[in-house]
Amino acid sequence: MLRRALLGLVALVPLALARPVLAAEAPSEIKIGHLHAGSGPYASISMPVYLGLKLWVDQTNASGGAFVKAFNKKIPLKLISYDDQSSTATAATLYNQLITQDKVDLLVADSGSVLTSVAVPIAREHKQFLFDPTGTGATFFQNNPYIALLADPVSTIWPKYIADFLKDDGVKAGIKKVALLYSTNDFTGTQATALRGFLKTPDSGLEIVYDQGVPTNTSSYTVLINNIAAADPDAVIALGYTGNDIAFLRNLQDSGNKFRFLFAIYPGIETDELVKNVGPQGLDGVFTYVTSAAIAYKPEVGPTEAEFRKMFEKANAGSGVAYGFNAIAGYTTALVLQETLAHADSLSQADLRKAVFGLSGKLKTLDGTFELDEHGAQIGEITPLGQVHPEGKGVKITVVYPHDLATGKPVFGKP
Amino acid sequence: MLTHALFGGLLFGLYFTLVGLGLNLIFGVMRIVNLAHGDFLMLGAFAAYWLFTLFGLHPLVAAVAVLVVFVLVGLPIYYLIVPRLLVSRDSEMLSIILFFGLSQIIEALASIFFGTTERSIPGRVLGTGPVRILGQSVPSAWAFGAAVSAVAVILVYLYLYRTRLGTLTRAVMVSRDEALATGIDVHRVSAIAFGIGIALAGIAGVFEPFMLGSVTPAIGGDITIAAFAVIVVGTLGNPLGTVLGGIVYGVSLLLMQTYLSSWANLLPNLLLIGVLLIRPEGLLGRQVRRA
Repeated sequence: MLRRALLGLVALVPLALARPVLAAEAPSEIKIGHLHAGSGPYASISMPVYLGLKLWVDQTNASGGAFVKAFNKKIPLKLISYDDQSSTATAATLYNQLITQDKVDLLVADSGSVLTSVAVPIAREHKQFLFDPTGTGATFFQNNPYIALLADPVSTIWPKYIADFLKDDGVKAGIKKVALLYSTNDFTGTQATALRGFLKTPDSGLEIVYDQGVPTNTSSYTVLINNIAAADPDAVIALGYTGNDIAFLRNLQDSGNKFRFLFAIYPGIETDELVKNVGPQGLDGVFTYVTSAAIAYKPEVGPTEAEFRKMFEKANAGSGVAYGFNAIAGYTTALVLQETLAHADSLSQADLRKAVFGLSGKLKTLDGTFELDEHGAQIGEITPLGQVHPEGKGVKITVVYPHDLATGKPVFGKP
Repeated sequence: MLTHALFGGLLFGLYFTLVGLGLNLIFGVMRIVNLAHGDFLMLGAFAAYWLFTLFGLHPLVAAVAVLVVFVLVGLPIYYLIVPRLLVSRDSEMLSIILFFGLSQIIEALASIFFGTTERSIPGRVLGTGPVRILGQSVPSAWAFGAAVSAVAVILVYLYLYRTRLGTLTRAVMVSRDEALATGIDVHRVSAIAFGIGIALAGIAGVFEPFMLGSVTPAIGGDITIAAFAVIVVGTLGNPLGTVLGGIVYGVSLLLMQTYLSSWANLLPNLLLIGVLLIRPEGLLGRQVRRA
């Protein structure tokens, strides 16, 4: 009996010693590994995310660091962000470097599905949890416990409201034939597949009369628009990245073609950039996703969208990087990191994952309610359907669907 | 759809003639591959953007300004880089490496100074709505791009075949060593051709925001590949063969977009492989290769 008690005491010694040792072992800094595209086709969606994240790191370090529950103290942050130049090959090498050489505590993917796609298998292989700002490809979340999508919903959810709106309000307004043009990448390709599935139900009352994919680097749409017009659709849905949308909408203006319903992704996401390049008149009546850049959510953590916009523009004046949803996505990612560190029992990847999933449904930021499904796909920060209207030298976006969120009525083009 | 693709491809291809013209002139005279060609075009696009934004200059006026400035910029770049390159053992291969490096530097500097966001000039500057030509409706920008390209081709033709400097340039194109032996100031002739080549890229850049939607510092690489496909198809080293190369490229691209849109970005590579396998000397052949 006595022997057993002594053995028990001996066994407890390391645990008793461990607590002060744990405090002493608190790292001098928390390393956040990230990639950004300083050049190349994805720079325009990547740099705002990077600068949003960097803004939070600078602010946090100015206040003494981030509170880390595992060590019960504030610890300074170190952001290690390499430039992948929009190249997936370079990104793959750099993700490996962040994990194996820099040994970062938190790994944050680059913006967008293309540059996130190479991070997913690497993070999984190294059992490193991937904080994914905006990589929305549905395949990232299949049988993968090492990922969470933080700042926008998974691609399969995005087009749900487009389809529901067309089946509901659209059919009543006489819309029957739909043309679908999309860029062939994880982000828009997945949305096109999902949209096809939503629209091709027997009772939809809609028929897809044009369905073509184009390479993501497509910059001339004139012939494609002519071909779409030849199919005589009532509704045209164009799914592309920022550069695609700019080229498509400019070419559409030049062509003189008009459609009753026209949807494009980026007028509602990178609104300032689209207004600058296409002009308010070129965006008149275009339907688009409405993000937190146009919806004033009431955050419980972090600044409001208006406050953040001021901070971002002040911090990055003269950088040549436009403010838009991706800047919000970068800052939202940062707020999730902040709350993760504040709730994780340790910096182990398992505890970080547990902390992130623990935030689901409870964290409300300038980007809306952070909510994950069991696979780590974002389902809370929804993207309602909106419509762009010129207002002065800019535009305003009204939410038209779902009806309970609507701030205005949809205006269809003339038949 | 077929007629529109063919006619549109003709106009679009004429613009790509302008895109490739300077690259082919430089290769024809100096036998060096300017892989920074697309980046000079990008700089021309930014020049047009800033000239319009700051001073409201019409792209046609901007094109003249770009012509002058880029020729003047091209001369020192030539004397800084090319003479040393030409005395190396394998100047063609080394030029690829050197100009690739220059391309990276230009893109990086442009990203730092201009930022990475998309920039463009309002389409209405070149006219609102489409224009009808031969029963086909095409954007005003395409008509402008094709017209400017046609003027540039004519001017290059006049320069090469109707001026004394052009005669000397063609002599250098035929044989640099023989031209040197006959007392021609080869470096002076080459420097002017280099400046003109860069300026042609710059002028193509002025119309790039209208033809390709917008400009970012990153567009150079894709443009260089397209320009390279155009000049290989039209015959390397033959500036006027670029016209045929541009038209083949434009028509093929729009046909691909019409019937096999997902595969359209393979076109430059397919054209390059096809021509190199079937007719490596280019469509115009050996007889006219050296002007």
